[in-house]
Amino acid sequence: MANGYRDSHNYFAFQPFNESSTYAVELVRVLDDGQRVPVANGRWEGYDWNELIDWGPLRSPWHQRHAFSGVDAVLDFLDNALNWVADNTPGDTETLYFEATVTYYRNARGPYVTVIRSHERDLGDP
Amino acid sequence: MTAATSSNTAAADWRFRRQRWLSEVFDQPASVRGVAVLRIVLGPSVIWHLRPFLADALGGVTYHDRFQQPWWSWFPNAPAGLYVALLWIGVAAAVLMTVGLWSRTATWAAFAVVAYNLFLSQTHFHHNRAFLVILLAGVALCDNGRSLSLDALRRPPSDDRALVWPMWLLRFEAAAVYFASGFSKLIDSDWVSGRVLHDRAVRYQNEVRDALGDALADPVLEVVTARAFHWVLSPAAVATELFIAFGLWFRRTRLAAVWVAVAFHVGIEVSAHVQVFSVIAIGALAMWAVPSTRDRTLVTPSRWVGWLDWMARFDTTVVPGASWCMVDRDGTVLEGREARRFVRTRLPATFPFSRFWRYR
Repeated sequence: MANGYRDSHNYFAFQPFNESSTYAVELVRVLDDGQRVPVANGRWEGYDWNELIDWGPLRSPWHQRHAFSGVDAVLDFLDNALNWVADNTPGDTETLYFEATVTYYRNARGPYVTVIRSHERDLGDP
Repeated sequence: MTAATSSNTAAADWRFRRQRWLSEVFDQPASVRGVAVLRIVLGPSVIWHLRPFLADALGGVTYHDRFQQPWWSWFPNAPAGLYVALLWIGVAAAVLMTVGLWSRTATWAAFAVVAYNLFLSQTHFHHNRAFLVILLAGVALCDNGRSLSLDALRRPPSDDRALVWPMWLLRFEAAAVYFASGFSKLIDSDWVSGRVLHDRAVRYQNEVRDALGDALADPVLEVVTARAFHWVLSPAAVATELFIAFGLWFRRTRLAAVWVAVAFHVGIEVSAHVQVFSVIAIGALAMWAVPSTRDRTLVTPSRWVGWLDWMARFDTTVVPGASWCMVDRDGTVLEGREARRFVRTRLPATFPFSRFWRYR
């Protein structure tokens, strides 16, 4: 429980309803040539963000969403989700990495903006 | 008496009380009826908890097919087929827990499945699931099949007593959950000032309107979206959790703390989606009953006492036409209306509506 005061997720710390924060994401694909392609409604190259992630707290993040377990927890999940998507979309042969511009309100204060990127994908030889 | 003698007497008294408490916790068998009640509550809760995972599995989807965030890289990942089989084993174990067949083994099996599922991915974590895992472990540690079980019917034990140190662990855990929740909010200025709850109320007011309709929602929303309302509500919520955390430990405040806890969980269930938390938290309140059974004698003309005495508080004799008469543990005799009122404070179904404050 004591660990929950430094852990952004508050695992096993029993701190429910800890924040009323919200967030929204502007997701883009950055291609090998540097071109930035917005991911409109979470769909690109035959993939669907909601189908891939399929987890309530990160569903449809392009709309303003409640930050499950707080903003810090959502930012950590989003960071891992971008990497997971980068690793699990083999049919996408264009995207070098994903970039999420996150606009959030912490307990109605804000907006604050932060940018999260996935790791770079191996696109093979051109 | 000198100050030194008084101090020595107090120290000796404290040592005696401590030794008696340690003996009560670790050495003396006591009734496991409360643990058995919790086992019966946890069984359906495990099924309810596994339900969305099973629904996905029936649709051909498991955690392998969606975003997951492992807790540890070394944690074993079950192939999809084995994972689905484990979920069904969890359901079977939960059914056996509920009816009390191979009670302890079934509880361990349910614990193993729920814990394994929780630790497959951080996206599976919710506070209510963590609490469920802890409660299952505590119940499994106790010989919980000695009461309210098919096990006890098949091979009747000499009595319903066993070592109850796991029950004390569960008491500590349950109180710690209320304390952790209340204390974290107490030291959070946004929470205790009402900012967090007010923002949520404003943001989710459309859901209230959808649920109640405009005519009823308007006056409700006028209150719950007012900033001043949350200056009172938020500190009251924090005080409630801390009162439950401490009040459960003391005989004079225990019944009040249990009543407040029931009202608190009903309130949360109405206003938020907390999965199985409300049910298991109310079920865990059974841990706080004195672990002895049938130690009050009751003569009553009513059969309903026997049906509702789930915690076995009374050694009941039904005598048609007789007046109520109850002899308490300390020999106190209550008759007529007083006896009836007392009985209502000790039956789980009537307790919330009873005058519990008169009979602590």
